[in-house]
Amino acid sequence: MVIAAMIAFAILLVAWIFAPSESSPKVPKAETAPGTDAIPVTA
Amino acid sequence: MPQIDTGDTAWVLMSAALVMLMTPGLALFYGGLVRRKNVLSTIMHSFFILGLVSVTWVLWGYTLAFGPDTGVGLIGGLDWLALEGVTGEPSDTYATTIPHLAFMAFQMMFAIITPALISGAFAERKRFKAFVLFAVAWSTFVYAPIAHWVWSPDGWLFGLGVLDFAGGTVVHLSSGIAALVAALYIGRRTGLVEPATEPHDVPMTVLGAGLLWFGWFGFNAGSAVGANGLAATAFVVTNTAAAMAAITWVTISWLHRGTPSVLGAAIGAVAGLVAITPAAGYVTPAASILIGLGVGVVCYGAAQLRLRARVDDALDVFAVHGVGGAFGAVATGVFATTAVNAAGFDGLLNGNAGQLVTQLTAVVVVGLYSAIVTGAILFLVNLVTPIRVAGDVEETGLDLAQHGEVAYQP
Repeated sequence: MVIAAMIAFAILLVAWIFAPSESSPKVPKAETAPGTDAIPVTA
Repeated sequence: MPQIDTGDTAWVLMSAALVMLMTPGLALFYGGLVRRKNVLSTIMHSFFILGLVSVTWVLWGYTLAFGPDTGVGLIGGLDWLALEGVTGEPSDTYATTIPHLAFMAFQMMFAIITPALISGAFAERKRFKAFVLFAVAWSTFVYAPIAHWVWSPDGWLFGLGVLDFAGGTVVHLSSGIAALVAALYIGRRTGLVEPATEPHDVPMTVLGAGLLWFGWFGFNAGSAVGANGLAATAFVVTNTAAAMAAITWVTISWLHRGTPSVLGAAIGAVAGLVAITPAAGYVTPAASILIGLGVGVVCYGAAQLRLRARVDDALDVFAVHGVGGAFGAVATGVFATTAVNAAGFDGLLNGNAGQLVTQLTAVVVVGLYSAIVTGAILFLVNLVTPIRVAGDVEETGLDLAQHGEVAYQP
């Protein structure tokens, strides 16, 4: 069980190393519920 | 066979929860200090570490810091890897009136907030991927060994007689020095407006400071690992030092800049909390007033010097935690008294000058070790992925470029 737990974390560690570094710089579009003045909720 | 005390157990578990709250509090404290375009990335540093170090501490951090020593007082063994053997029964070594798991959980919260403190130094320009790798390595190769040296009965600094009740050297000095090294390594932010970038949300920072102050009762009074008189002493001196440092910082800034700064009150309170941390279980309330006064003056001066030196420790981690932690460790060697804690030692004012030398030794050793190993980790992480984001990413802001989200809609 200890080894399985270590492997589980190691998988995440490898994923972080190969994950993209930056996202495309695009401002998320604001959405509001129809007919209200609700605070915008990010999509 | 040690017996579990329900009062002690309840207090330590509650203290662990209080210390846990400090990390989101730190996120708000730091988040308010940065520009609008970087608030999410700054908050994410603390929040992600809450998850990250919770896992690494269970897997290997706790056994390296508190496990049975490997022989020379430098590091714990792997006996408690993934908490094997750490159960609901008390430990024979640590806090023998509470479940071993409760002690582990309490210590875990310290391990979480320490690398999160460093994140203030490289705010607004550090690549998230590099931050994650740095945090894993730093908590393993800097925090765990230092915690073992100071807090394990087999640790070599513990053997020298170093007094560090709740982490003045283990938490604050180590992270403050690491912050200075990180700031020097990563370089200054581009487009920085002198003398300093304006905080985007001072109320957020004050809220964060309030949560830190609240959580610090668990940090220090919880370090008594029992519901007893020592916890009450630590509680009172913690509040007193924070209060004194806050009003001292405000007074100095009032005289120096002409206005009583709200931000100064928040930062001053944190400086007081840092300085009383190593002393909390060893000094009287009267001494805590002097410690609060002293650290308010010293840390304010350090922050001003940092500005003049043009070191972009973005959120003054070194000035508050590095200098404040060192000041508190030394002050412990001055004001400690066995009248407060018979398990401690007297300090300089009670006829034991040797304790001051011991405390200074700990400050130098922990500071040097943290500086050297932090530098090495930054160098190695930079080989895997560049630590600093590209110029256009810094210009856009880390929230959008690194996380694809923004804190506030236009």
